[in-house]
Amino acid sequence: MYKIFSNIWENFKEYIVLVALLIVSLIILSLNQKPAVRKVKSLAFGAFAAVTSVVSDVVNISNVRSENNHLRKMNAELMLRISELRQYGIENTELKNLLALKDTAKYPLIPAAIISKSLSKYQNTITLNTGTKNGVKPGMPVINEFGLVGIVSSTSKDYSIVKTLKNTELKLTVKDERSRIDGIMKWNGTNLVIIDVPKTYDVEPGDRIITSDLSSIIAVPLPVGVVIGLSKVETGIFNEVKVKPFVDFIRTEHVFVLGIVENKEIKGLELNFYNHK
Amino acid sequence: MRSHYILSILLFFPLLVIQTTIVPLIAINGITPDLIMILLVFYAMRCGQMYGTVLGFIYGFLFDLITGTLLGSTMLAKTLAGFIAGYFSNENKVDNYLKSYSFLMIVLLCSVVDQVIGAFFTTIDLNTNFILLFFNQGMLPGIYTAVLSIFIVIFYPKRRIS
Repeated sequence: MYKIFSNIWENFKEYIVLVALLIVSLIILSLNQKPAVRKVKSLAFGAFAAVTSVVSDVVNISNVRSENNHLRKMNAELMLRISELRQYGIENTELKNLLALKDTAKYPLIPAAIISKSLSKYQNTITLNTGTKNGVKPGMPVINEFGLVGIVSSTSKDYSIVKTLKNTELKLTVKDERSRIDGIMKWNGTNLVIIDVPKTYDVEPGDRIITSDLSSIIAVPLPVGVVIGLSKVETGIFNEVKVKPFVDFIRTEHVFVLGIVENKEIKGLELNFYNHK
Repeated sequence: MRSHYILSILLFFPLLVIQTTIVPLIAINGITPDLIMILLVFYAMRCGQMYGTVLGFIYGFLFDLITGTLLGSTMLAKTLAGFIAGYFSNENKVDNYLKSYSFLMIVLLCSVVDQVIGAFFTTIDLNTNFILLFFNQGMLPGIYTAVLSIFIVIFYPKRRIS
């Protein structure tokens, strides 16, 4: 008996090891949502991020000068825009007072730098140098000056991992800013697409896409991207809307985590929620 | 030989730092080369199929753990890629492979397998066009990785004749 097994092992050991490791991988694949696995992951990336942050700082020094020039120009443009908006703000406050509406648009911004990026065609993630110590929690949206970057997926004390819009695991409720049509947006490995949009719906190339107020993850309307085309599905009643994100994920270096505080009352009413398993 | 084993694990960490900090700067239209795949193919060819398979598993596990990707997806893909790379670990031919453009072809093959399997576990649905998936998510990153692996071919030392 021993000889038979020994012979089998000698002749097929590579295949046996391969099959065994593939089975282990599949088992681990099914354990992703377990809290213990998430904890181990957060410890591992926290330890590694401490190293990458140093390298990232060195790499980014070369970009500081050009970024400064760009920021100065943007500052000037924003200053002009602010003076314009200030006027609208005053009018808005007066009108709200007249109607006795509550002001709910106050969201803390937590600044962060990207210290590493895992760019793949299907699972784009970035690591930020801010974590639970600064009040970052899983599920918080991450933005930059152009729009939505992604959602915090896991955190350690000093670091956090963000699933960008170019991650197949992230699905968001979004809205066409012009026609106010809602839909589910996801990354299909090649494009950002809003899926299952009825052909009769009014969505056109050039329309701006923002996050929908139906989404509980992102309660504020944040710019996401612009419609670049509709897939020409000949059969069926649904279209797929292709969206080009406003954010350039490769060049982005600094972001803000939107510190939205969960509201239990709202949470209880939500239809679409982020799963905090 | 034992030093090879230790070195292959130790080299993974600095390479992952480069992969996540510097490699994004050379991305072409979002496509990045996979330096870890080059290292995996190199060691699988030098140390054998069994070692390549196990090393692929370890690399995949560490990669998933550290970068926050779906735990198990890279493990599975890299295990299979390491197994395939190990096919070319013939002791008499390995130096010839590493010193010729055959190495690029082997890296391309393993990289395509790695990317397509990774994509299979994350992006596949009923509407997926498999030819497009193979080309966009398999061939393009694979070609980029294979092109970068030319540095191994150039800098790999010639075998000394004793």
